[in-house]
Amino acid sequence: MAISIRGVSKKFGDFTAVDQLNLEIGSGEFFSMLGPSGSGKTTVLRLIAGFDLPTAGTISLDGEDVTNKAPFDRNVNTVFQDYALFPHLNVIENVEYGLRVRKVGREERRARALAALEKVHLADFAERKPAQLSGGQRQRVALARAIVVEPKILLLDEPLGALDLKLRESMQIELKELQRDLGITFVFVTHDQDEALTLSDRIAIFNQGKIEQIGTPHELYEKPATEFVARFVGTANVFTAAQSQNLFGVNKKTMIRPEQIELGATGQEATVMESIYLGSSIRFILKLADTQVIAEVSASDENAKTYRRNSTVKVNMSKTDLVELD
Amino acid sequence: MTSNSSVAGAAIAVTPARRVSSYLYNHAKLRLRLLIAAPVFWLGLVYIASLLMLLITAFWSIDEFTGNTKVIWNFDNVTSLFTDALYSTVTLRTIGIALGVTVVDILLALPIAFFMSKVAGPKVRNILAISVLLPLWASYLVKAYAWRSVLSNKGVLQWILEPLGLNTPGYSLFGAAITLGYMWLPYVILPIFGGLEKVPGNLLEASSDLGAKTFTTIRRVILPIILPSIIAGSIFAFSLTLGDYITINIVGGANQMLGNLIYTNVGTANNLPMAAALALIPIAIMFVYLGSVRRTGALNNL
Amino acid sequence: MKLKKVKALAVVAALSIALTGCAAGASNTAGTMLDKLGANEKSLTLLGWPGYAEDGSNDPKVDWVTPFEKETGCQVTFKPYGTSDEALSLFKTGQYDAIAASGDATLRLIAGGSVQPLNTKLIPSYTGVYSFLKNRNWNTVDGKTYGVPHGYGANLLMYNTKVVTPAPTSWSVVFDGASKYKGKVTAYDSPIYIADAALYLMKHQPALGIKNPYALDDKQLAAAVTLLKAQRANVGEYWSDYLKSIQSFETGNSVVGTTWQVIKNSMSAKATVDAILPTEGATGWSDSWMIASNAKHVNCAYQWLSYIDTPKANAAATEYFGEAPVTSDACQYASAGFCDTYHAGDANYAAQIWYWTTPISKCLDGRTDVKCTDYSAWTKAWQDIKG
Ligand SMILES: Nc1ncnc2c1ncn2[C@@H]1O[C@H](COP(=O)(O)OP(=O)(O)O)[C@@H](O)[C@H]1O
Ligand SMILES: [Mg+2]
Repeated sequence: MAISIRGVSKKFGDFTAVDQLNLEIGSGEFFSMLGPSGSGKTTVLRLIAGFDLPTAGTISLDGEDVTNKAPFDRNVNTVFQDYALFPHLNVIENVEYGLRVRKVGREERRARALAALEKVHLADFAERKPAQLSGGQRQRVALARAIVVEPKILLLDEPLGALDLKLRESMQIELKELQRDLGITFVFVTHDQDEALTLSDRIAIFNQGKIEQIGTPHELYEKPATEFVARFVGTANVFTAAQSQNLFGVNKKTMIRPEQIELGATGQEATVMESIYLGSSIRFILKLADTQVIAEVSASDENAKTYRRNSTVKVNMSKTDLVELD
Repeated sequence: MTSNSSVAGAAIAVTPARRVSSYLYNHAKLRLRLLIAAPVFWLGLVYIASLLMLLITAFWSIDEFTGNTKVIWNFDNVTSLFTDALYSTVTLRTIGIALGVTVVDILLALPIAFFMSKVAGPKVRNILAISVLLPLWASYLVKAYAWRSVLSNKGVLQWILEPLGLNTPGYSLFGAAITLGYMWLPYVILPIFGGLEKVPGNLLEASSDLGAKTFTTIRRVILPIILPSIIAGSIFAFSLTLGDYITINIVGGANQMLGNLIYTNVGTANNLPMAAALALIPIAIMFVYLGSVRRTGALNNL
Repeated sequence: MKLKKVKALAVVAALSIALTGCAAGASNTAGTMLDKLGANEKSLTLLGWPGYAEDGSNDPKVDWVTPFEKETGCQVTFKPYGTSDEALSLFKTGQYDAIAASGDATLRLIAGGSVQPLNTKLIPSYTGVYSFLKNRNWNTVDGKTYGVPHGYGANLLMYNTKVVTPAPTSWSVVFDGASKYKGKVTAYDSPIYIADAALYLMKHQPALGIKNPYALDDKQLAAAVTLLKAQRANVGEYWSDYLKSIQSFETGNSVVGTTWQVIKNSMSAKATVDAILPTEGATGWSDSWMIASNAKHVNCAYQWLSYIDTPKANAAATEYFGEAPVTSDACQYASAGFCDTYHAGDANYAAQIWYWTTPISKCLDGRTDVKCTDYSAWTKAWQDIKG
C-alpha cells in the first residue's frame, strides 16, 4: 500500500476534525477525497504531508511509519490549493527549488526543471515571476514544482478550485494524463462530485471527519451505502422505510436514481409537478401518492414532451434498481 | 442664524462657501493640489532649502572671537574632514558603532518578529506587540538615564554579572552600543514583523514539503522575501545611531561620536560652518547606504 | 538638567533652521546705557549656572527668588546651563534678559554685542561689592562696566575617601598619577579645562614658561594637550551636567576628578567623598550678572542685579553654590565660618585662583613676542584630546 492510515484522529482543541479514520490507498491509484466543505479532507491531506501531526493513530507511506516525521522526511509532495509559489523566485527557480535543496547539480537541475515545465506546457514562461502569470499558469507551475522531485505520491488540494469551468475541464484531462504518464499515486481533494467521478479510480466520501464510503465511482453511484452518499454523489430519490413499504413492500430505507425511473404506459399514477429541461435530458418532479419523486428521461424520447405540468403519467420503478441504504 | 434657517438655507442658498466647495468638487486636480500644498511647501522650502543652506554654510567661516558666521567662501572646513585624523577616527568609530548596533538589532529582531508573526497565538502576539511598542512611549532621555543607572557600578547589570565573575561594561562604547541597540530595537522589529506578516504560512509548508529543512527554508524563502523589510529596519537603526550624540554622552563614558563633534561645533565652538561640514559626513554615508539599498526595494517598505 | 538636554537636542534638530538666523544675525553693539529706571515689567527671564536663582522648587529651604518676586513683582523664569559655551549659544537666542556668566564667556558676550553697559548708579548694592572684584578685565571694557559680581570660587578636586588613598593634596592624582584610578577619573567637559592642565604644568614643569594658564603659545598648548591625552586614557567620563557627576561619584563610576562645591554639597550623606583645594591652586570663576542688549524686561533685570548683590540674597546664593560672596556684609547672613572657608574678601587668596577667561591670540600674560592660542584653537584641541 502506498498510503495506509490507521485509526487516525485530529483534534483542534475540543473540535474533532478527523475522527478515527482508516484508509488504504494503493500504488499508482488516482484516489479522490470528496466531501462538503469542512468535512476534514484538507486536514487528512495535511496529516499525510506532515504539516500537522495526528492526535491519535498511525500513518505509513510505502510500509514505513511516518506518523511523526517532518514534511521534508516524507516522499510525498503537495500541490497547494492557492499554489504557494515563491514570489521572489521566477518560474524555473520555483520548479528547481526542490532539486536545489536536494543539492542536485546546476545543469541537471535546470534540465529536469525544464522537462517538468514542458510536461505542463509552460516551458516558454520559465523566466517570469509568479505575479506575471494567470491562475491556470500558476497552477501548472505548482504542479511542475511538485512532480520535478519525482515523488511516489502527489497530494493535490482542490487544485482546480480557483479555475473557471472551461479551464478546469481541460486541466482535468491533463491531470489524468499526467498521472497515467508518471504512474504515481495521486491523492486528490475536491468538493466537486463530477470532477471526482471523472478522474478517480476510487473515491472516499467524507462527512464530518469520517469516511462514509470508499469505492469506485461506479460503486458509489450504483450502490451508495448511506443516504449521505446517495445524495452527495449524483441525484437520488431516497425513501424512508415507511415510504418504501408503501411503494415496494420493502421495510427499509431505500434509494433509486432518477434515470432508472421509467415513465410510460405502465406503473403507478403520478402527477407532474414540474419539468426541467437539461439539454440532453428532461427532469420531472412528480407526486406519487404522498411522495415526491425525481425522474429523468432522455430528451430524445418523443413521449417525454407530452408530459406537461399537472398532467398524469404512469411511473414504473423496478425493484431491482432499488438500493437499500443503511 | 438659527438652526432652522441654516437647515433650510443650506438646501437652497448658494453661499460663497458652497460655491467654493462645489467648484473644488468639480475640479479634482485643483483639490488635490490644495491638499498637498502645505506638505509640499514644508518639504520643499522649509526642509530641503534649510538643508541646502546647511550645506552652503560648510563653505563659510567664522569670526573666531565673537563666533559670528561670516560669508567668506573657502574649502578649509571640508578639506579638514579628510586631512584631520580626528575626523576620520571619529567617523570610523561612529560607523563601527552604527554597524554593530544595526547587526545586533537585526539578529535580535529576526527571532522576535518571527515568533510574533508565525509562532505565537493571538494572545501572546498582542502581549509581545505591546511590549515592543511600549518603550516607544517613554522619553528618549528617560531611557538613556535608565540605562545609565543599569550600567553603573552599582546597577542591575553589575548585580547580575558579578556572581558570574563578570563586570558591567560601564560607561563605554560598548555600554553606548547596548543602549542604542535597545533604543532602536522596536524600529527594527516592526518592519521585519510587517514583512513576515506578508509571507503566507503555506510558503513555509511548501518549502518544507519540497524537502527543505528549517534552516534552508529560512535562508532560501523567508530571508529573501523579508530582505527589504530587514533593510528598512537597518536604515532606522543605522541612521539613528549615526546621528546620536546624547546617548553616547550619557552612557558612552569619555567617548565621542560624529554627533558630538557637530554638537560641540555648534554649542561650544560656535563654529557653525565646521558643524555643517561635519554634518556632510553622515549625509554622505546615508546617501551611499540608501543608494546601495535602493535596488532591493527596501525603500518601498519604510 | 534633562530639560537642558532636550534643549540641546532641539538646538541641533533645528540646526538647519537656526542657520538663517545665525548667518544673518549681525552684531548689534548696543552702546546705550540706561539713565533711569522705569516701571517693572512683571516678568524676568534669567540664564545662569545651576543653583544661581533658587526658588525653593529644588529644596524648600533654599529660596531667594520668591522674596525678590514679592518685592518687585517681577516673575522670574530661570534656566540653568552646564558650560559657558552652552550659555553663549542659549543667550544668543535672545530669550533671556540677564545672564550670570563666567569670565570665559563675558568677554565674548561683550565683543559680540549681546550685553549692554550698566549704569551702576541704578544698582544701589554695587557700592558694597569688594573693590577687587570691580573694574576687572572680565567685567569692564573701555571703562564701561558690563557686569556686577555674583560670586567667585575655585574648581576643586573631589575624591572618594575609601578608594583614593592616601588622601590627595595635588592635582597630580588626576594627571601623572591618574593611571592608578584608570577608568574612574573624571574631568570637566569643556575646552576651558585645558587651563587646569596648564596650571598643573605651570607648577610642575617651569621650563615651559607658563605664566598664566589662559595664555598659552603653541608649544605650551601642545604640552597641555599631551598631558590631557595621557589623562584621557584614564578618564571614565567627562561631565558638564553636574547631576551626572553626582551620580557617577555616588555609584563609584568616578572616584577622583574636578568638581564644584555645590556638587559636594548635593551628594547624599552616604557618599564617602571629600573636596579639596590642591596645593597648586586651582582654576576658578568669578561670575557676573549681565543684561542682554535687547532685554525685554530691562527694569526687572536691573532690579535683579541690584537684589543679588544685597548681603542677604548674596549670602544665600553663594553659600548654596559653594563660592565666596561678593560683599563682606553677606557674611553676617551666612553660616558661621562660611566666609572663612571661602576666603571671602581675601584679595590675596582670590589672586591665587585663576579665573576662567577666554583665551585670545593677544597673550593675556603680557607677552608680545609670540601669539597665543585662542579659544577656537582650544576647542579644536579639546576635541582632539577626547579623540
Ligand atoms: N488549524 C485549525 N484550527 C482549528 N480548526 C481547524 C483547523 N484546521 C481545520 N479546522 C477545522 O477542521 C474542520 C475540517 O477542516 P478542513 O480539513 O479544512 O475541511 P475541508 O478541507 O474538508 O473543507 C473544519 O471545521 C475546520 O474549521
Ligand atoms: Mg479544504
